[in-house]
Amino acid sequence: MRPRVMIAVAATIALAGGGTYAYLEYNRGVAGADSMPVKETVTAHQLLADFQADEAAATARYVGAKEQVVQVSGTIRSMEPDGTDKTTVVLEAGDELAGVVCEFANKDLPADLRSGATISVKGICTGLLMDVVLVRCIAVR
Amino acid sequence: MKALKQLAIGAVLLPSLLSAQERFATRNGHIHFFSSTPVENIEADNRKVTSVFDATSGAIEFSALIRAFEFEKALMQEHFNENYMESSTHPKAGFKGKVEGITADDLKKPGTYPVEVSGDLTIHGVTKPVTTKGTMTVEAGGTIKAKSEFNVKPEDHGIAIPGVVRKNIAEQIKVTVDLSYTKM
Repeated sequence: MRPRVMIAVAATIALAGGGTYAYLEYNRGVAGADSMPVKETVTAHQLLADFQADEAAATARYVGAKEQVVQVSGTIRSMEPDGTDKTTVVLEAGDELAGVVCEFANKDLPADLRSGATISVKGICTGLLMDVVLVRCIAVR
Repeated sequence: MKALKQLAIGAVLLPSLLSAQERFATRNGHIHFFSSTPVENIEADNRKVTSVFDATSGAIEFSALIRAFEFEKALMQEHFNENYMESSTHPKAGFKGKVEGITADDLKKPGTYPVEVSGDLTIHGVTKPVTTKGTMTVEAGGTIKAKSEFNVKPEDHGIAIPGVVRKNIAEQIKVTVDLSYTKM
């Protein structure tokens, strides 16, 4: 093969490869909690206590500089469908006015889950409002 | 004597109890934002907004975690958190203000009330005054649904948009707030 043809073929392959990568990267979906490593494993009581004791330190530890998965265990206080495709599961955390809020897509919510059951949840920790908030949760039990 | 004592305690506690009955809250509020340009549309949802509304005074507050905004595309979500909102430094956005156009008495009458909301909006650590219109709907079951829409200019909150992507992001971002309150 002549050098000019080889260069043209190489350039075409590089362009096609680069274009494909850019397209896939642009359209990459948000990762689920099941496809990321667990950064911290903690009880709901401990998680809320850590945020209430030192919010900045707990934010650095559990929320992190980039998205990270926290695995939380606890007893379900309530389950609240939000009228869309999501359900909020609130875990008891030793405080009447606060808890650990876990947002599930309904498709990821086990059908037999009930208030009072104990559960272990993987989710992306986003910080503290009234409650500690985890999104994109999955049950691991 | 015992009855008198109970009456006295009741008289002291009654105003605060009545006042407490007029406070409403949600932990599942929804904020949607939408940026539209000829290059691309960018939108995200946060369904974990916490808000408290005091119908007696009209005071309203809401707070949202920046990391809880969810995008369809991972790259947009990463850029939003890391490059623009700097969510590690400014993890929350919030609003504190007052609602006018609805009173505690209106809560007894189901219906939709046009309201005006004014207060301070804090995004990216920068607080700016905001005044906007909205509606509050009192439902028969005692819940209140509040809706409002307003525009936010990123530069007003110290959010720098690099020139290379300026055409991808609208100058005015449309923000929609949708809160469904229950009694505290």
